[in-house]
Amino acid sequence: MSDHDTGDERARAPVDPGLQIERTTLAWLRTGLSFAVGSLVLTRLIAHTRPLVALGCVLALLPVAVLVGVLAVRRYRADSALPQHRQPLADGALPAGVALLAVLVGAVGMVYTVLL
Amino acid sequence: MSVPSHGTRRWPSRVYGEGDEPDARFSLANERTFLAWLRTAMALMAAGVGIETVNAATSSSRNPLVTWLALLLLAGGVLVSATSFTRWAATERALRTGRPLPAPRMGAVLGYGLAAVGVGIAVLLVIVGI
Repeated sequence: MSDHDTGDERARAPVDPGLQIERTTLAWLRTGLSFAVGSLVLTRLIAHTRPLVALGCVLALLPVAVLVGVLAVRRYRADSALPQHRQPLADGALPAGVALLAVLVGAVGMVYTVLL
Repeated sequence: MSVPSHGTRRWPSRVYGEGDEPDARFSLANERTFLAWLRTAMALMAAGVGIETVNAATSSSRNPLVTWLALLLLAGGVLVSATSFTRWAATERALRTGRPLPAPRMGAVLGYGLAAVGVGIAVLLVIVGI
């Protein structure tokens, strides 16, 4: 990306994700953190009226939050250690999983809003 | 995921079943866009839960208009969460097959939707006086 980088040099250079893997891992982590914080706040609100449900939510959520964080960090760790031309081979399972989790959190939020 | 090879099965096959591996930077950017949509969805949900909690805390009887607004925000969050993954998959597929990227439909829904929610909140504040 430097000024003297000619198109010819770029064409011959191997694909270098550079800091993109790090940026992506950080994006995963801040998404996971928002998810964890949002879920805990929602749980705290539920605890007012249904402490047992809230306790169950915390016990179910904390391992899930830790798991998402671990999987997110491992997702590209192997790739960043590989030679530059190797492609990340992560697939769509983790994205689908966290999107499903977000849908579930939204559903719990709707139940909370109706039953409050 | 640890040993890259052509025999590695990657899910979903609807995405990875055809086309060639794109430039890794494009895949990574696609993934960050997906994650940004997901955070947007969670912000919508947090807004919904937040205004309903304030609604319940500030008066003995909840204002039903605020409750409907909260449900609308939460439904928007669920919709954005669900479409974020299908959009990621469609974009990844387009990157692999070299076809044009899918049109950003949710951008318009979210933009106009949030504008409508903003007008709704303004009306609630001025006329209903919550």
